[in-house]
Order: sequence, then C-alpha cells, then structure tokens
Amino acid sequence: MRPDRAGDAHAADPSGEAARTDGGRDALLEVEGLTTVFHTDKETIRAVDDVSFTVEEGRTLGIVGESGSGKSVTARSILGLVDSPGVIESGSIRFRGDELTDDNWNAHRGDISIVFQDPSNSLNPVYTVGNQIRETLRIHQGLRGQAAREEAVRLLESVGIPDARRRVTEYPHQFSGGMRQRAVIAVALACDPDLLVCDEPTTALDVTIQAQILELLDELQEEEDLAIMFITHDMGVIEETADRVNVMYAGEIVESAPVDELFDSPQHPYTRGLLASIPGRTVSGDRLPTIGGEVPTPTTEPTDCRFAARCPEAFEACERVHPEPVRVGPDHAAACLLHEEGYDQGFGDSSVGPAPGGSGDGTATDGDAATDGGERE
Amino acid sequence: MANPRPAAVWIGVAAVLFALQAGALTQFLTALVVDAVAAVPGVAVPAGVAALDRAADAVPTLLSRETIPNRGYYDGSGYVGTFLGLSPDLAWLLRVTLIYAYSFATLAWLWVGYDRYRTHYRIADWTPRDDVIDRFREHKWGLFGVAVVAMFFVMVLFAPALSPTTTAANLENPYQHEITYWTGDGTQTVTVGQANLGSQSQGTPQENVGPMQYDDYGRIHPFGTLPSGKDLFTFIAHGSRISLIIGLVSVGLSVSIAVVLALMTAYYKGKIDLGAVLVSDAVMGMPQLLLLIMLSVILSGTWVGKIYSGAFVLALIFAGTGWPAMWRSFRGPALQVSNREWVDAAKSFGQTPTAIMRKHMLPYITGYVLVYGSMTLGGAIIAIAGLSFLGLGVNPPTPEWGRAVNAGQDYVTTASWHISLIPGILITLVVTGFNALGDGIRDAIDPESDAEDQGAASGRGGGA
Repeated sequence: MRPDRAGDAHAADPSGEAARTDGGRDALLEVEGLTTVFHTDKETIRAVDDVSFTVEEGRTLGIVGESGSGKSVTARSILGLVDSPGVIESGSIRFRGDELTDDNWNAHRGDISIVFQDPSNSLNPVYTVGNQIRETLRIHQGLRGQAAREEAVRLLESVGIPDARRRVTEYPHQFSGGMRQRAVIAVALACDPDLLVCDEPTTALDVTIQAQILELLDELQEEEDLAIMFITHDMGVIEETADRVNVMYAGEIVESAPVDELFDSPQHPYTRGLLASIPGRTVSGDRLPTIGGEVPTPTTEPTDCRFAARCPEAFEACERVHPEPVRVGPDHAAACLLHEEGYDQGFGDSSVGPAPGGSGDGTATDGDAATDGGERE
Repeated sequence: MANPRPAAVWIGVAAVLFALQAGALTQFLTALVVDAVAAVPGVAVPAGVAALDRAADAVPTLLSRETIPNRGYYDGSGYVGTFLGLSPDLAWLLRVTLIYAYSFATLAWLWVGYDRYRTHYRIADWTPRDDVIDRFREHKWGLFGVAVVAMFFVMVLFAPALSPTTTAANLENPYQHEITYWTGDGTQTVTVGQANLGSQSQGTPQENVGPMQYDDYGRIHPFGTLPSGKDLFTFIAHGSRISLIIGLVSVGLSVSIAVVLALMTAYYKGKIDLGAVLVSDAVMGMPQLLLLIMLSVILSGTWVGKIYSGAFVLALIFAGTGWPAMWRSFRGPALQVSNREWVDAAKSFGQTPTAIMRKHMLPYITGYVLVYGSMTLGGAIIAIAGLSFLGLGVNPPTPEWGRAVNAGQDYVTTASWHISLIPGILITLVVTGFNALGDGIRDAIDPESDAEDQGAASGRGGGA
C-alpha cells in the first residue's frame, strides 16, 4: 500500500546519522521503526507507528505533540511498560547497543528512569517519601539502613527540598505539588539513571513551579551528565529544555530538528500550527490561531497524510500518498509532501501556514527541501 | 524518645496486666515447649523441661477456677470450697465479671498504647490511617460490632475459666469425675454422670434446670442444662472455640487464596485472569452442601477427618468453596490499584513483581479484606451451626452451638426453652456483631460510602 516502502530505512537514516555526527556524542538510546499497537475488540489502534529517533548522552530530546499523538506510549514502550492489550509490534529499541525489545528491559532497569505527569499519583501515599527513595536505592545501589537514609536525605537536598532531614520522614500528602514532583525526581535519580524519561513532568504544576522544575532538570543534567527525553505538549517548555525536538502527530514523527532550527524555520504545516498557537507569539489583539479538528486515531497502516484533513496547505496528493520523512536541512527532517518532488502543490503553496513568523523562512527553505528530497529518489 | 513518661506508664500497666495472668501465660508457653519436645521421636522429655513445666504450673493465675472456685457444697451452715464461702452463683458471677473487666482493661490498654504512640512518639503528625480510625470511633454500629466480637473472643480465650465446670468432667468423661453434695442431713459423693442424669432438662417443670438455677446436686447452671443433664454454659463456651477456629481457618485460607489470586490477576491480567475466572466459575457452580456431605463421608475415616472432630475438614471445604466469591470482590479494587502510576513507576525502577504486589497493591485491598473477612466469618459461623444442626458438622463430644440448637428443638415450647433459644440468640448476636464490624470498617475506610445505598458487601449465607 505504501508506494515507496523500500525507501523507509533510507529515509529514516539521514536524520539519525546526522544527529550522531552533529553532536559528536554517542547515541545512548536508538529507537528504530518502533510500532506499538493496541488490539481492542473493535480495531487495532496504531498508537506509535514506525517511529525512529536517537537520544544522545547528556542531551535532551524533546517530544512534542497534541494529546493522543502517541508521546506517552512512546515513553512507555521504551520502558517496557506497555500493558495488554498493547504490544510492541515491531521495531527496535537499543540502549547502549543492547536490544531491549528482546525482553531485555530488566537488564537495564534503573539505567532508564521515568518521571510521570502527576506527582500525586506516582508516589504511593501509604509510604513516606524517604521510604520510597530507599526502596529504589536498595534495588539499584544495594544501600540499606543508615547509608540508605543518608543517601535519601542527600538526594532530597539535591533536588532542592529544604530541611530534607525532616521532610524525608514525611508522607507525600504533606508535600506541595512542586515539592512532590521534586521528590518523584529524587526517586528517579535514586536509580542512578543514564536516561531520564520525563512524561509531561510539569503539566500538572502551575507556571512558577514549572519553571523551577525545568531549572532543576537543567542543573541535574549538568551535574550528573543525564540524557533526558522530555515529553510535553507545551511548545514553550520544549523551547527552554530540549536540544533537539521531535514533533509527533497521530503516532508518527512528522518533523525532527534541533530546537533552534525548528522554532526558526518549521517545515511541517503541523509544526507551524503548533508554533502559531503559542500565546504571545501572535500580534497582540489578534485572535490566537488554533488548529481545527482533533488528532485522528490511526487504525490502519497509513495510505495518506494523517494531518491532511486539518492541514491548511493540503492538496490533492495528500489524500492518497503517505509522506515519508524527507531531509530538509543538514539536520532537519520533515514528513510532508510539500518537500517531495513530483507532486502538484498548486493551491497549497500560496497560503503558507498560519504561522506569521515562519512563513518567510518557510518558503525559502522549501526550495532546499525540494532539492534535498530529490536526492533520495 | 524525648518524653519517656507515657511509655513508661504504659509499660508499667502492661507488667501489672501480665502479672495477673502470669500463670496462664507461662503454663501455655511451657506446655508448647513440652509438646514440641515430646513430638520429636526418640527423645525423652529432658528433666529440665519437665521441671520448668512444673514450675509454671505453680505460678498462680488470678482469673481461673482454681483461684476463684464456684464449685463447692452446702454443709448445713455455709458453703465449703467456694470462693470466700460465697454461694456458687455469686462466685461464678464474680469470676465472669472479673474476666470481662480484665479483658476490657487489656483492650483499653492497647488503645491507650496506640494513642500515646500517635501523640508522643510517631514522627508523622498525621497519616491516612488516623482518619480511618477516627471515623470508626464515630461509627456506633461498628462499635457495637467491636463490643460483641470482643466479648465473643473473650469467651473463646477464657472458655475454661468462664465455665462453671470443666469439659472433661461435664462433657467428655462424666463417670470418671465425682462431686460432693448436701443431701439435707449430710454430704454424699456421686459421679458427675450420675448427677447429670438427675439434672436433665426434659421440658417438664419437674425435669428442668433453667438459666441461673441450681440442680439437685447444688451445681449452678448459668444457662441451664441440656436434655442430657450436661451444663449448657460449658457446652456453649467451649463450642465458641470451635466456631471461631473453623471460621478463622476457613476465612483465613479463602482470603489468602483470594488475595494472592486477585493481586496476580490484576498485575498480569490477560490469560491468568481468564483462567482464574474459569476456575472460580467452575467452583461456584458446584453445590456446596452436596460437596460437604460427600467429602465428610469420604474423609470421615482418614486422618484429615479426625483432626479436631472433623472441624478441620469443614474449614477446608468452606475455604475451597468460598474463595471465588471473595476473589471477585477483591479483583475490582486490585485492578484499580494496578493501574495507578506508582505501580508503573515501581515497575520502571525494576522492583520485582512480588514486591510490587505486596508493597504497592496489597495495602489498597486490605480494607476490602477486612470487610469481607469479618462478614464471611459470621457467615461461616452460621454455616457450621447449620451443618451441625443437620448432624453433618462437628462430631460429639466436641461441643458445637448448632448441636445445642438441635438438641433443644423438641423443647422449644416447653419449660426447657433455654436449650435452643440461648445458643440461637448467641449465634444471631455474634454473626450480627461480625457484620456490624464489617460495616463499620467499610464506612471508616471509605468516607464516601453510605450504609444505606451500598449493600454490596454482605456475608455469605448459611450453608444449610
């Protein structure tokens, strides 16, 4: 059904390779062609569909997209937390070269840690915060008794909780929301991880606390040389934290670029839509642009562009051809027919996105994209 | 320990409470040691252990028939052999009052201990459990349940001391024990068996010994006598033991099976869950009563059937048929908690499945376990009584409440109404108590639950 299926691996490669050479760092986590599906009675939902990316040591990879675009399932897949009826159908997840999908997760438990969205839900309310940190310390560092207690206090201090010696004996309900998320991060750090997966860690917090948590993550990354995979729907947060950004839509990565480049010259109409809908980026007094409609639930292998129905630049070919990631810059890929040659872009080209900032750049790089895309044919 | 005084006072009270019953406790412990040593084949009980046993026997126990005897006889001018020369009924009442006072003092001591720990020593000044306990204290129906269940437990624990006579003398070997009684112009000695023949309750005013009455041999019968002339109170007090033991063993076993299954099915879901559904459906499809009759016949001659006069087999059958209903009740909440994020977090940190189930899931179903456990315990007591009533349950001479009800059913409308009525009322009261306790716990655990609109948890009905 997919006309250029053969070009798949080929298409995914450029971005990955570029990422590795560009940063000059080693790839810590390599995800290739990850497809996670949920078999329900009615249909099979392809929550993550053929997703590939790389997380480098000590760097932050941001994953951004609307609710329902498959961000969290990607994170859960990486940690092996996909529960029935969900299953990782194909693809590979390699951590330091070890294939995790061969049921190898237990070998790397603790190397990858996760921080969930709602801190009040990820701490067990019947145990003290210290108890929960010590539980993790015991599993991963073999610390017990006094040593574990001291280490728990040190960890709480390191995530910026004042009076840690007393707080360590308190229950989660005695912590405020921000404090709780700090405690969750402390539990995650107790594993001494190399990769911290943050699944919307600031979404449940108010803006000032958000900023503090982001700052904390930044500091920790520097101190411990952590790689972070940061999942959020908030473009503003992504801009502050990520080194590189993957934009996800309906289970697929539609655009992937270093953060500055993505914000300066978004190549996918969806990315432009997202950027345009950040408050403060529009001319004041104007109505905040939105992307109409909802994320579709993908149930079959794609035969069209899943964004076409909502895309302001869609043209006839978008309904019948599934766009593959195309290299649109030295380290920049986008999956959009606008960047592939040989399709009639007649009416789409004139109305370039609702993003006022990106439109000028957008058309300029469009040309690049076309040539780049041409190379792969 | 910045403030040692409350703890010191509490420990001091503990010492006093212990001293009062030191004999009973040390005798119990040394008996355990002696039994354990005797159970080792080929080893004679060492002299030291035997001496220890004798020494323990010498330690006085305040609340025992020996210290406050009610068994004596009238010698024309006063009572001989009873406590301070009191009449037997007063001596017995005094002992019962002291035992209950002691027990409730012990309960109060436990509560004060918890309260002092909470106010003086615990680091957290509030935990979620505190609210549960405070809500329970406001729950009158639940407190009624606690009182009834506590009194029942005291009866079970102190059955030998509460009874006016011993099971050995009254129920098991009446012809090998003797009593002395006052004939009007002198004392005479007769075997207990002989005396029992003269104190039967047969429904006529001439042949009846009712509650708190003396028989012709000067013995006090707090609940009257059985048609065979045996003492009903002794029968009931010791029968409470077997009811509770069967209840606890069967509920303990079925709760364990149900909890382990609920945790596993909720954690692993999928095929294990489906398998458990199939098995539990199959078990629930079996007719429990027929299974009971069949198994008790088949097993009656084997060693399993002889443990505790067949009570153990009953407990096993109750457990084997009772777990599916419980598992279904626990499965829902277990599934709920298995979807909580802290379970995922624990998984992602590499915690083992058993530890996750135990540490992060079990605390969330213990409430349900308590509620269903206490309610099923009441159901089990009814079921055993019902089976014994039909002659299927516990074999004589081991006393069981249902058999007393059965023995008295011909005399319900006669002067000997007490034989059926007293055990019947006690069964109802105890079962109501367990249900009230369960209700109280449920309402305490879940502040949003309303006793009126949630009849979800109800005890398993009688087996007969």
